Amino acid sequence: MKFLPRLNLGFWKRAQSGVSAEPILLGQASVSGLDELSKRLSRWGSLWSAENEAEDNSTAQALVTERLTVWLERSFGEHLPASLYGDGDAISLSSSIPILTAFLGRRATRELSRSVLQDI
Amino acid sequence: MPRLVRSIWILTGVHLVAGMVAYVHFLVTGSYRLLGWYFTIFGSLFFLIMAAAECSLAFVCRSWFESDEPMRLAWSMIAFAALARLAGTGIRELADGRLNWGPNQWLLPHVGGWFASQSQFGMVIGGPLSMAFLAAGLGRVLSVQRKFRLSGSLTRGDKALLILIVAFSLSQLAINVPLLRQHTSPGTSLLWLSDPLLALLLIEAVLVRRSVLRIGQGLLARCWGSFVVAIVTTSLGDASIWANNRNLLPDSLIALSWYIWFVAAAAFTCAPAYQLEAMSATSSLRQLEVR
Repeated sequence: MKFLPRLNLGFWKRAQSGVSAEPILLGQASVSGLDELSKRLSRWGSLWSAENEAEDNSTAQALVTERLTVWLERSFGEHLPASLYGDGDAISLSSSIPILTAFLGRRATRELSRSVLQDI
Repeated sequence: MPRLVRSIWILTGVHLVAGMVAYVHFLVTGSYRLLGWYFTIFGSLFFLIMAAAECSLAFVCRSWFESDEPMRLAWSMIAFAALARLAGTGIRELADGRLNWGPNQWLLPHVGGWFASQSQFGMVIGGPLSMAFLAAGLGRVLSVQRKFRLSGSLTRGDKALLILIVAFSLSQLAINVPLLRQHTSPGTSLLWLSDPLLALLLIEAVLVRRSVLRIGQGLLARCWGSFVVAIVTTSLGDASIWANNRNLLPDSLIALSWYIWFVAAAAFTCAPAYQLEAMSATSSLRQLEVR
């Protein structure tokens, strides 16, 4: 069934026009988009490991810890196991990922990380 | 309480209330007619529904883990245990003809000389085989819990209970092993494995319970707590059968003890429901909002 559209000349014309227009749009989007993505990744990276190098991260870090604590209490119980804490006292994604992955699986842990970091 | 778990307990509650009406009727009239009718029709249906729900929920939980994850094996074993319980219940219902499904003997596998009857075949599948799978699954859970230092240290009470369980199962083995030399069929011998396997499950339940008490009342803790409740109620049911065989219970208590199995079936179903709730709620940000 997939080869049928290829026999249609109109399909090829539309496809060609779409291809020729895309590089310009991508080029414009890539500069601002990649910068934004890079910033976001670095921010998430520091939030992931609970590093508070940047000052504006402290509020976000507190939110991440709060969300994680609520979630962990909901999942495990009110007495969180010591293995959830990393080297420091704060609960971070990096310190809680091993135990969450073990008991909830990678798929659920991925979803949880996404939910915790959403809108931050 | 998650909606699914609430639904399971509401269904169980309604079923038990209906059962209590039959029980009161039995106490007042002394007739087993209504009680027998309740256990034959509603009891059979309840076991089938709970076993099917438990089996499907356990397989869904298993699918959330990838093949190289340690809990995948645990949930595989638990799902196989649930499947064996469902198959065993189904075979027994068909063999005993409790539900009016017409001529159904042809649906069952030919069990040959291994089993005394098709019903016994169902009992082996739903009993010792299911217990063996569950014991393997819970053993895996305990090893993962130990790895994350979740398992709490045993109290004196726990140790005393464990010694009691081991002593009881050894005494049962001392009675049953000499009987193996006699005329027993392989099916009967396999059924005797129920007691040691139940003892093993009880030991695992004590260890799991200790870790559950240590971490609190979260969804995962309740999942393992449900297994503990299910295993303990199964043991109580088993103990009531043992007491009944020795004429230690009056008729009124014997009839009442049959209801324990419904609670055990519901608790077995709740365990994967709690696990599934914990896993599926991870994608919802609403769940993470601070209370």
